[in-house]
Amino acid sequence: MKLLITSVFLIGCALVFSQRSEDLLPKDAVSVFSIDNVNLLQKVSLDDLLKYEFMEEVQQELFDGSTAGKTLRDAGIDFDQRINFFQGSGKRFKVTGFTFGLENRDQLFEVFDDFQPAKSNYDGVDFYESYFNRIAIKGKSAILFRVQGHSEHVERVTDSIWYARGNDYPWYEYEVEEWLRDSDSEKERVFIGSETEENTNSPNDSNDLPTADEDPAVKTYFELRDSVQLDYHNYCVQRLCDELFVRNESLILEDSRFAEQLLHQSDGIFYLDIERGVDNISDMKFLHLHYPSLTSNFEELYRGNVILGDFTILDNSIELALDVEYGEKLGSIYNELTNAKFDKNVLKYIHKNNNAFFTQTINMRKAYEQAYEIIMPLMSKSETQFAFDALTLELLDAIVDKDAIFGVYQGSMFGAYNGLQTIKTKKIIFDYDEDTFEYSEIEVEAEQDMAVFVMGFSTKRSDVPEKVLDRLAKIHPKMTKMDNYWLMEDIILGVAPMYLLLKKDLFILTNDFELATNHPNGYGSLAISKREAKKARKSGALYGHIDAGKSLENLPRGIFSEYENEIIDVIRGKSGMMEITSSKAQETTTSFNISYQFEGDYENSGTYFLDLINSLYVITK
Amino acid sequence: MKQLFSTLVISLLFSMTSCLEIIDDLSLNNDGTGTFKYAVNLSASKVKINSYLALDSLDGKKVPSISEVSKQIEELIDELCTMDGISDVTFDSNYSDYIFKLKLDFASISELEKAIKALVRNRSKGQVDRELDHEWLTYSGLSLNRSIPRMEFERTKNLKKNEIAELKKGSYTSITRFENEVARFDNKSAIIAKNKKAVMVRTNPYSLIHETDLLDNTIYLRESTDNE
Repeated sequence: MKLLITSVFLIGCALVFSQRSEDLLPKDAVSVFSIDNVNLLQKVSLDDLLKYEFMEEVQQELFDGSTAGKTLRDAGIDFDQRINFFQGSGKRFKVTGFTFGLENRDQLFEVFDDFQPAKSNYDGVDFYESYFNRIAIKGKSAILFRVQGHSEHVERVTDSIWYARGNDYPWYEYEVEEWLRDSDSEKERVFIGSETEENTNSPNDSNDLPTADEDPAVKTYFELRDSVQLDYHNYCVQRLCDELFVRNESLILEDSRFAEQLLHQSDGIFYLDIERGVDNISDMKFLHLHYPSLTSNFEELYRGNVILGDFTILDNSIELALDVEYGEKLGSIYNELTNAKFDKNVLKYIHKNNNAFFTQTINMRKAYEQAYEIIMPLMSKSETQFAFDALTLELLDAIVDKDAIFGVYQGSMFGAYNGLQTIKTKKIIFDYDEDTFEYSEIEVEAEQDMAVFVMGFSTKRSDVPEKVLDRLAKIHPKMTKMDNYWLMEDIILGVAPMYLLLKKDLFILTNDFELATNHPNGYGSLAISKREAKKARKSGALYGHIDAGKSLENLPRGIFSEYENEIIDVIRGKSGMMEITSSKAQETTTSFNISYQFEGDYENSGTYFLDLINSLYVITK
Repeated sequence: MKQLFSTLVISLLFSMTSCLEIIDDLSLNNDGTGTFKYAVNLSASKVKINSYLALDSLDGKKVPSISEVSKQIEELIDELCTMDGISDVTFDSNYSDYIFKLKLDFASISELEKAIKALVRNRSKGQVDRELDHEWLTYSGLSLNRSIPRMEFERTKNLKKNEIAELKKGSYTSITRFENEVARFDNKSAIIAKNKKAVMVRTNPYSLIHETDLLDNTIYLRESTDNE
C-alpha cells in the first residue's frame, strides 16, 4: 500500500511539476495556435514552415540556409509535446514566437546554428540568442521568441533625455518640409536605411541627421534613440523572462478559457482574445488619447470577447469548430440580428451546378432596435461631439420610416457563382484599304467569357423597388421593362447585360439569361439538391459552400492585396469542398464550423492544416 | 462571405483575355513636312479595363481613375503643343470603347523626333536616356530610315503563358506614306499599297518587345514626276 501511495504521489508530482511547452506561453499572447497532434508535422520541411505568415516575426534570422532540407523531426523537436505559435502585445511590448517540446538540444542548434549561448540569470533556464531572437530552454520545453518594445515609449524616453540635455526640437521645420516635398528623394532612402538592423556597409552621412552638438562624441538624436531602443529591448526581454521564469505568469494561468480549451480532445486549438487585441491596435490608442470616455464606454461592449476553436483532422478533411464568446450586451445585439426565419425561396435560385454559394439569414430591424437601445446611451454619455451625433441619430430614428426601410431590405440574402459562360459582345477593329492603307473603324462581333452570378435579398416591400425600376425603365435608354424582369444593357463592365427580377418577395440581380427568361420563378429541378438545401436551411445565420477547385483556380493574383492572397492561397491550387456553417447567436456565444474536405491522402493533412492556421492568422492578426 | 463573393465575381470578370491594337502612321511630304498619327485601340480589352477601373489597386499600386488618366493625357498634349516644329495637335479619346487617337503636324522629321524624345525624357525623369540616343528617323529626300526606340522591357521577362498569348493576339502596324511612289524597301515583312505610295509593316506586341528592330525599314522613293 505504501508503495502504491508513493508511486501515485511521484507520478502526480511529475505531472504537476513537469514543464510543458504550453506553460511557456507569455501572458501577453493575444492569439495562439496550439497543435497537439504534432506527428502531422513530422514531414513538413522547416523551410516550408518558415515561409508561413505566422512565422514572419521570427523567420528573418532563422531562414538563412541552415534549415535547408530539414524537417521538424531533424530539429530535435519532441513530438509528444504541443507546438504553440503565438503573437501578442502588452502594455510595453509586442511578442511573437513559438513554444515547443525539446528532445535533442544538439540537433536543435545544428539547425538553428546562428544561435549562440547567452548568460542566464534564471535557475534552470538556458538562453541562446541570435540578433533579436531568443531561445529559452527550461527542462524539456523551449520558447523561441522575439520582443519589440512599443515605439511610442522609445520615442517618449528619447525626447525626454534629448530635451533634458538642453537640445532643441530635433525636427527643424525646414527639414520636415524638405523631406515631405521630396518624399522619394535620396534623403528618405537614407532615413529608412538608418533604421535597418544591419546597415553597416553604407553608414549614413551624419550631415543628414539633426546633430546634438558640434562635439562628435555627443550622440545625435537618432543615435540616442537607438541606444534607448536597445536598452528598452533588453528591459522588455528581462520583463518577459521574469514573468515566465520568476513569477510563473503565463497565459495558461492567466486565462482559464485558454487553459480549458487546451483540455479539448482535438488535434489543435485556436485562441484569440479580441478584448485585448482591440485594446492594442493603434487606432484604439489614438481614440483612448482623444476620446477616453467614448472608448471606455465601448470597450465595455467587448468585455469577454474571445474566439476559441478546435481543429480536428479526419481522413481527407479538416474540421474547424469556432466559438465566439462575448458579453451580454453585445450578445443581445447578435441575438436579435440572427433572430430571423430562413427564406426558403432563395434555394430555388441556386443552381445545382454552382461553383460557390452562400445564404445569410439575419434580421436587420431587430438588430437595429437592439443596437439603438445599447449604443445610444453609450454615445450620449461620451464626449460632447458624440453626444451631438447621438442627438442626430435620435432625430433620424424619430423621423425616418423604419418600416419602409427594413421592409425593403430585411437583411437576409444569398449569392451564387455559376462558373464561366461565353457571351456575345462587340469590339472595334481597324479596317484597311488595300489601295492606300487608309483605315476606318468597324464594329465586329466578339466573344467574352463572363462569370455568371445570381444575387438577391428578401424584401417585404417589393412595391418600392418596383416603382423605382419602372420609372428608370421609362427614362434610361439602356433599361427596358420585360415580361418577367427589367433588362439593363451593357451594364456589366460595359459589355454584358444584367437582369433584375422581383419574384417571391425576392429582389434578384443576375447576368444569367437562362434564369431571367426561362426560370424566373426558380430553377426547379435544376436547383440545388434537397440535401444541400437542408444544410443551408438548418445553418444559423450563415451558410457557405465553395468548390475550391472550380472557383478559385483562375483568380489572378494581381488584383488582390498581399493580405487577400494569403487567405485565398489556403485553397488555391487545391481541389476540395469547403463548407461554412454557423449557429444562431446565443446570449454569450455563437458557433461557426468550417469543414474542408480535400483530395489526397492523410499525409497531406499537415500542410493543409498549416495552410488553414496561416489563413486564420492572417485574418485575425 | 458577401465580400468574398463580390471579390470572386469581379476577379473572374477581370481574368478574361484581351488584346491591343496600335497603329503608327507617318505621312511625309516632299518638302520634309508631314503628319504623324498614333492610334491605340483597346476595345477588345474593354472588359479587362473596366475591371481594372473597378479596383482600388492592382499589384499593390493604385489604379488611376478615368479623370486622372485624361488629365495626364491633357498635360502631355499641352506639352506637345509647345514643342518647336509641332502644330495642329489633336487628341480624340473614346472612353466607351477605349480608342485613343493622336494627330499632329510637323515641320520636319528631325523636329518630330526631337519633340517625342523631349516628351519621353521629361516623363521618364532620365531613366531611358540611353535608349533615346540613337536616331529613329532620318530623311534624305529620296529615302527614309525608320526604326523605334531600343527599349529593354524588364517586365516582359517574367510573362506568364496567358499574358504571352494575349500579347500575341494584338497587333502593331506601322504605316509610312509619301507623296511620291515608293521604289523599294529593305524590310522583308513590309508590304506596299496598291497606289505604291504607302508601306506597311505589321507585327504583334510580343514579337516587337523581343525584337525591337522588326519594324526597322529603309524606304527608297522614286524621284517626283516633275523631275522625270
